[in-house]
Amino acid sequence: MGYFDVKIISEHFDVPEAKSLDYYESKGGYRMARQATKTAPAEIHAEVKKSNLRGRGGAGFPTGIKWGFVPKDSETVYLVVNADESEPGTFKDRHILFWNPHALIEGMIVAARSLGVRSAYIYIRGEMLREAPIVQDAIDQAYAKGYLGERCFGSDMHLDITLYRGAGAYICGEETALLSSLEGGRGWPRLKPPFPAVKGLWGKPTIVNNVETIANLPWILEHGGQAFADLGVGRSGGLRVVSVGGHINKPGVYELPLTVTGNQLIEEVCGGMRGGRKVKAVIPGGVSMPVLTPGELDVPFEFDALQTDERIAEVEVSPGVAFDLGGGKTLRTMAGSGGVIVMDEQTDMVSAAWRIVHFFAEESCGQCTPCREGTGWLAAVVKRIDQKQGRPGDVDLVASIADGIAGNTICALGDAAAWPTLAFLTKYRGEFEAKIKSSNYKPRATRENKAS
Amino acid sequence: MTSKQLSPEIEARIEALRPRFPVEHADKAMCIPVLTMAQEQFGHVDEEVCTLVATALNLPPAHVLGVATFYTMYNNKPVGRFHLQICTNIGRQILGAYDVWAQCKRRLGVGNHGTTEDDNITLSEVECIAACGYGPVAQIAERLKPDIPLYFENLDAERMTKILDALEEGRVPTELGS
Ligand SMILES: Cc1cc2nc3c(=O)[nH]c(=O)nc-3n(C[C@H](O)[C@H](O)[C@H](O)COP(=O)(O)O)c2cc1C
Ligand code: SF4
Ligand code: FES
Repeated sequence: MGYFDVKIISEHFDVPEAKSLDYYESKGGYRMARQATKTAPAEIHAEVKKSNLRGRGGAGFPTGIKWGFVPKDSETVYLVVNADESEPGTFKDRHILFWNPHALIEGMIVAARSLGVRSAYIYIRGEMLREAPIVQDAIDQAYAKGYLGERCFGSDMHLDITLYRGAGAYICGEETALLSSLEGGRGWPRLKPPFPAVKGLWGKPTIVNNVETIANLPWILEHGGQAFADLGVGRSGGLRVVSVGGHINKPGVYELPLTVTGNQLIEEVCGGMRGGRKVKAVIPGGVSMPVLTPGELDVPFEFDALQTDERIAEVEVSPGVAFDLGGGKTLRTMAGSGGVIVMDEQTDMVSAAWRIVHFFAEESCGQCTPCREGTGWLAAVVKRIDQKQGRPGDVDLVASIADGIAGNTICALGDAAAWPTLAFLTKYRGEFEAKIKSSNYKPRATRENKAS
Repeated sequence: MTSKQLSPEIEARIEALRPRFPVEHADKAMCIPVLTMAQEQFGHVDEEVCTLVATALNLPPAHVLGVATFYTMYNNKPVGRFHLQICTNIGRQILGAYDVWAQCKRRLGVGNHGTTEDDNITLSEVECIAACGYGPVAQIAERLKPDIPLYFENLDAERMTKILDALEEGRVPTELGS
């Protein structure tokens, strides 16, 4: 108990009429949007900074600081909500869009006021067939009430929100690829800098934020940035909406304090393991993030703790050699997208690793050679190990391919493929080696072999 | 010469959408929405359809074709009346998605992106569709019909059999969706 006392976004999840504007308003909704239209933009920005709100899309970057990168006196600024959620294991934004679309719209009004935005977009995953009409309805209702459009709440603030449906491409969740897609092209990431906050959509300053990030804003405005910061820990404010799947009894979407550890999440929130089996591995934040072993689950699932807590082993390139994240930093894991996947003792870690690298190989946009070639090669070698066709030296080969991708690409998809691969090898190396030992691979006889 | 034409309804939707984008960027920005509309009308997006979209938006046909081939939701060739899409990604792999996948391939006698001989069902393996909590999952599309806003979750052999039975009878088993 205790985990469910405060809720910011999910309080009315599972109430059938929660998605209607009337219901939302009857629970106090849109008061903060109305208030925002009369509040000085800098004042809203100050509260967001104070709140320690960190981006919920993957990188955990402080939202208030990101907003501060928009050049002063920009004529046109765009706001784009990233509703592309496609990191395998993650399904929390979909729940927010389905149950609480008005919190997103209200948050967008608050953000738009602070940033001086007149035109905002929600980029929603093409596959969200169920959610797209719900979000569009919510937008239409807000227009009908005069909350959006030329005079939001009768003020002089003009805001249009347009729902833009993607068409199937994981990479479009990466913010610069998303902008390329929204402009009507292939979803190709662009080199940063320049960052979108300076030069984004159609070359104009653009803030890209995740659905959950934005949906927190009304609460921050209502209760103050300090209250949000106090809900969190250290440099991370607020709560976190996590989605949990895999071998637990109660999969689902939960809004939780950042102090909840992996073990508490499994045992107290998700009703324990299915069939009473033991945990073997937990992916803490979408498949891009390094996997955790059962011994590492007493760490809170919070941005900084997952990155720095020494109870989590460092990811290695080879036994004893830590992976270099750049700037002398090492890699443990990260909170990522909040998509938790729990695997029990019967899970084959080599097969799981293959499915992850296969995904990245399929989804590489192909612009950079290390990513395009490397992910395909990774998938091929891990597959042959999995299918008992592995060769001596394959484990080192996989590690060196992954290490060659990491840090050498335009966007972070390269890292997203390399990190989990190295983590699987670091923590479950024995399983890979066992499969190679029992491999049926026979080197083809070469001429010399035959002669002798 | 092309014999197909975008419906007047799509022409109207294009004009309604246009003011949502800056004037000088609108044509290009509408490429993806209009390709989606064209797929609703024709069931797939091939070169001929891309040319129609290019003409409607004053874009180079090569650009539209490049976009259409980049995104996985555009079918580049006709698909069956029903398009059954199953996620086999990690969230589902560890819960038995490949068993369900194998069952579909066996029963329909087709491989990935294959269509049954009677043109009724196309089967595709897809990546995570953000429903990872709830057992193997599928989405179903019916040709020339509006999107079916349902997820078919917790699939096992029995539920999959029911879904395939229904599709073979020519209907979408909405009662099994959520
Ligand atoms: C390969 C890749 C995929 C991504 N997918 C998503 C996604 O589906 N949703 C999302 O919000 N952010 C995603 N991101 C992170 C975005 O690039 C961006 O950091 C985020 O949307 C910023 O919003 P935030 O600061 O509110 O988190 C992805 C990043 C990468 C590298
Ligand atoms: S890292 Fe991969 S996905 Fe990202 S731009 Fe390069 S090729 Fe494309
Ligand atoms: S892994 Fe299949 S829906 Fe997410």
